Amino acid sequence: MKLVMDVWRQAAPGEAGHYETHEVDDATPEMSLLELLDRLNFALVENDREPVAFESDCREGICGACGITVDGIPHGPQQNTPSCHQRLASFHDGQRIRLEPLRSAAYPVIRDLVVDRSALDRIIVAGGHVAVPGGSAPDADALLVSHERAEQALDMAACIGCGACVAACPNGAAHLFVGSKLAHLSLLPTGRQERGKRARAMLNEMEQDFGPCSLYGECAKVCPANIPLTAIAAVNKEGLRSFFRHKDD
Amino acid sequence: MTSSRVGRGRHAHGALVEGGTTDRDALGMGIVRSARLKPPPRIPSWVLKVVMAVTGVVFALFVLVHMIGNLKVFTGAEHFNEYAHWLRTVLQPFLPYEGLLWILRIALMVALVAHVWSAALIWRRGRASRGRHRRPGMWVKNFTARTMVVTGIVLLGFVVFHVLDLTTGTAGVAVDTFQPATPSTAHAYENLVSSLQRPWVALAYMVSMLALFLHLAHGLWTVVSDVGFTGVRLRTVAWWVAGVVALAVMLGNILIPIAVLMGVVA
Repeated sequence: MKLVMDVWRQAAPGEAGHYETHEVDDATPEMSLLELLDRLNFALVENDREPVAFESDCREGICGACGITVDGIPHGPQQNTPSCHQRLASFHDGQRIRLEPLRSAAYPVIRDLVVDRSALDRIIVAGGHVAVPGGSAPDADALLVSHERAEQALDMAACIGCGACVAACPNGAAHLFVGSKLAHLSLLPTGRQERGKRARAMLNEMEQDFGPCSLYGECAKVCPANIPLTAIAAVNKEGLRSFFRHKDD
Repeated sequence: MTSSRVGRGRHAHGALVEGGTTDRDALGMGIVRSARLKPPPRIPSWVLKVVMAVTGVVFALFVLVHMIGNLKVFTGAEHFNEYAHWLRTVLQPFLPYEGLLWILRIALMVALVAHVWSAALIWRRGRASRGRHRRPGMWVKNFTARTMVVTGIVLLGFVVFHVLDLTTGTAGVAVDTFQPATPSTAHAYENLVSSLQRPWVALAYMVSMLALFLHLAHGLWTVVSDVGFTGVRLRTVAWWVAGVVALAVMLGNILIPIAVLMGVVA
């Protein structure tokens, strides 16, 4: 199958970018979006031209490195699927698609389709971790965690940090990302000891790079880890809790 | 994230890092900007959302009670005017004449200022955080979310019009025959009917009620997230309550201009 691509090209941060049109004639429906870019890059290199820069690592949907915007939708047309798993079968033969980086003021473009998502890392550094000494492993039933609670925590822990939620949001909000982490860590006994402190630190960091949530629901639709929209309520829940409680835990 | 690798494009000409320095290592690590976009705001956005949720619920309760009161128009002129008079004299002599109304007016005014002010800040912060490239092609389901600013402005205009029309009876907006309420009697029924007999006014009221439905449906649903309700069952119930309350307020109110235009209420 043939695909026509308008690809965002930008040589360096802060420079003006532009769309460049390319065609790939020998694409197949089972190829992934990233394999399409690989194919394009082989052709570009063969012709002595600059390849398109894009990020990828595992290509199994577990690392969170990949992420490009396809026709305005982060990751691509298939819902809850990372770019590396988006198949060209979503497009018809001869279709024209627009490929651009993940868009948000918090994500400056590094080059072409690669953006700087370190604003998300700064939130994790601020509080997305457990910093209390856990001691040695307790007896199996000394610290009871119900199965249901463990499952909930795992669901929220599934976030791979790709940052597509922010790019999907018309407000550039990171509530799905922050909420999943807050919920995950507040559900478990060790993480709960810093619950209030963590909420204050992460929300304060979030406010400096990301926008407010207006419940558009676009984030949960693109999330490759299927984090539910409920996670965004955890942001205000933990915020209110730490505000009124005013304690570290 | 820090293990990110720049595709096939790790080129020799180090790019300009925002802030004016060239740092190839920074590019290799996927970081070109370590400075935050903005300092921490004095009032965080999540607090503004809580303010909007609380004030929004105040408005929702008000319009629900207001709608139920409006339906008394179908019980006849005498009963409706009696109700209007009662609103002004209720709790007398504990409260002065129109005491309860003024308490409500002041509370609603404070809520309105807080609501609109928070909304303006949130709108501005949202646009700034999104940056130059707007999000295109959103789904139909968040139509109400996308139109909150528009429906909000329509409602603000409606509130001003409505007060000038049926409370103050300001010339130019209200009908010429407008009769203000006195400590002994009220003419709410006559004022209401003659105002709504003007087709453009009836239409304006109906359009405003549609805007109110859209605004309330999304606003009330957003409240559950803003106050931090994470329970699945609670959220499902809240979604339905938001829709039903919004629909009830719209239908209850829209019945009145229709009834007046059809001559059922005269």
